Amino acid sequence: MSAKQNSACFVRFDEDLCTGCASCLRVCPTKAIRIKKKKSIRIVNRCIGCGECIRACPAGAVRAATSDLEALEKDHVAVALVSPVLYAQFPGVMPKDILHGLRQMDFQHTIDMSYFLEMFQFASEEFIKRNRETHNAPWPLISPVCPVVVRLIAFQFPSLMAHVLPVLRPVALMAREVKRRIIPFYMETGEKVALYYINPCPTKMDLTCLEPGEQPTIPEIALGINDIYPELAGHVRRIRESDAIPFYQTRFEYETCATGNASMWAMSGGEIVDMDIDKSLAVSGLEETIAYLQKIEMGLFQDIEYIEFRTCREGCLGGVLNVVDKYLAKSAVQKMIKMFGLGRHLPRENILRLYEKGDFQTEKRPSRLLNLFGEQKEGLSIESMQKIEKILDVLEGRDCAACGAPDCRTFAEDIVRGNASMKDCLWVRAHGKKKSKAPSTG
Amino acid sequence: MSGLKKSFYIKARDFNRAGEASINVQNFLKSMNFDPGLIRRIAICGYEGEMNAVMHGGDGALSIEIDSDKLVLEISDDGYGIEDIELAMQAGFSTAADEHREMGFGAGMGLPNMKKNSDQITVQSEKGKGTQVQMIFFLNQGGEIV
Repeated sequence: MSAKQNSACFVRFDEDLCTGCASCLRVCPTKAIRIKKKKSIRIVNRCIGCGECIRACPAGAVRAATSDLEALEKDHVAVALVSPVLYAQFPGVMPKDILHGLRQMDFQHTIDMSYFLEMFQFASEEFIKRNRETHNAPWPLISPVCPVVVRLIAFQFPSLMAHVLPVLRPVALMAREVKRRIIPFYMETGEKVALYYINPCPTKMDLTCLEPGEQPTIPEIALGINDIYPELAGHVRRIRESDAIPFYQTRFEYETCATGNASMWAMSGGEIVDMDIDKSLAVSGLEETIAYLQKIEMGLFQDIEYIEFRTCREGCLGGVLNVVDKYLAKSAVQKMIKMFGLGRHLPRENILRLYEKGDFQTEKRPSRLLNLFGEQKEGLSIESMQKIEKILDVLEGRDCAACGAPDCRTFAEDIVRGNASMKDCLWVRAHGKKKSKAPSTG
Repeated sequence: MSGLKKSFYIKARDFNRAGEASINVQNFLKSMNFDPGLIRRIAICGYEGEMNAVMHGGDGALSIEIDSDKLVLEISDDGYGIEDIELAMQAGFSTAADEHREMGFGAGMGLPNMKKNSDQITVQSEKGKGTQVQMIFFLNQGGEIV
């Protein structure tokens, strides 16, 4: 089942490096990780790709399941889709030099995101403006930009799926543009194209518009910023040291158009700061995101129109695959904004014409995501829940994770589902099951 | 009857932890894969009830009882009670103190919202002795677990 692959492929575990310390178990928001037989780790099919386990692992045993540079398909025309977060990794360097460096790394085209970010902003503003009259979607609308947030909602807050702004994400717009214009361009000469997403986190690829089982029509490969950084940094240094003015003819208008508005997107709040919305919020960090989603589910924030969520602190700058410290990167972005200023460059009327044609509408995706997790999350019956409560009465309730599950409740769930056994619990093994338990305070 | 009951403690005037009991209830229901729409309604009711208990009640409890045909959500507290229940059920009526309003609470929509989002609501209160709000959510026949 390809849905299974998609959802489980964000991180990889190196069993040789793993010490079994259980740090990753505790930070996983969907409780997707278990440790069995001391080291072997298995992912229950619930990974949303937040990367918290990568951050938490003291042994470096968890890595993003991105490809490395060897994955560059030599016989394909390589197109790099560049997130503005990359620019923030080179404080004091102009984006054009960074893009130039990428082109020296055999990426024939470097697609800067600025264009598509502006398109998204225009389209989102328009949707929100109309929603004030039509009330088609409930307030507050939630930004669809961070894919981890959307997966988190699909998995843990399915009732909020209707709040996700139904506008295509900038990455999706960018990939579509490549498919519409660059691929046909090379089709004439019979050359094949491969897309490379250069990402600050394990999940920025947009495979989400595919149906389950559907394969991408061209190779789409995710590279982490950390994967390409050493080589890119060398090229960038040489470009800056050279006296010659680099000459490069770009074929498509969005290959070198980095703007201040786009660099701002790397930071938390960067999406909404220049949007024409009355009441909006920017929330960053996984814990805060979950806390706010819980509040929205309980009916709060209905007076807010739009909330930008990023599960990484400080926004995409805090992505786990970045190289430069997020606060240094933030200061680099602030300098860039000073230099470029904010403000958009695309003509609004053109975008609105496309909007009328339905060019920004999402299809399939939300329902597909719901199914993805819906299939895997089998509900527990009343009897099973009663069994879980009984098991919890026996367990100590310290959430020590020595059994290999993140906490006692999850462990009890695993037992009821037949995936664990009571004797995996150290406490039960040491003291037996018959321990009389003090009344619970929780 | 093979009902499943779970109860969560609510601490009076603890605004930092307010909402936690109803989040616990939500997580509990989510692991049983109840319909998201139903969970949302229960979340809203639970939160409104919990806030009432935090603001006006003494300590209290939020409990959920699950049967094959219905869910019963109950919020009880040992607070000063409601003088006129009919009045309290009206939208906009509030006895919240200024300090609550400053925090954004006390708009007088608590009980009306609970009524709107539940299938059946019973409010019992005696002055000086506390309040019990019981809400019932009927499950679709055979389709309780989606």
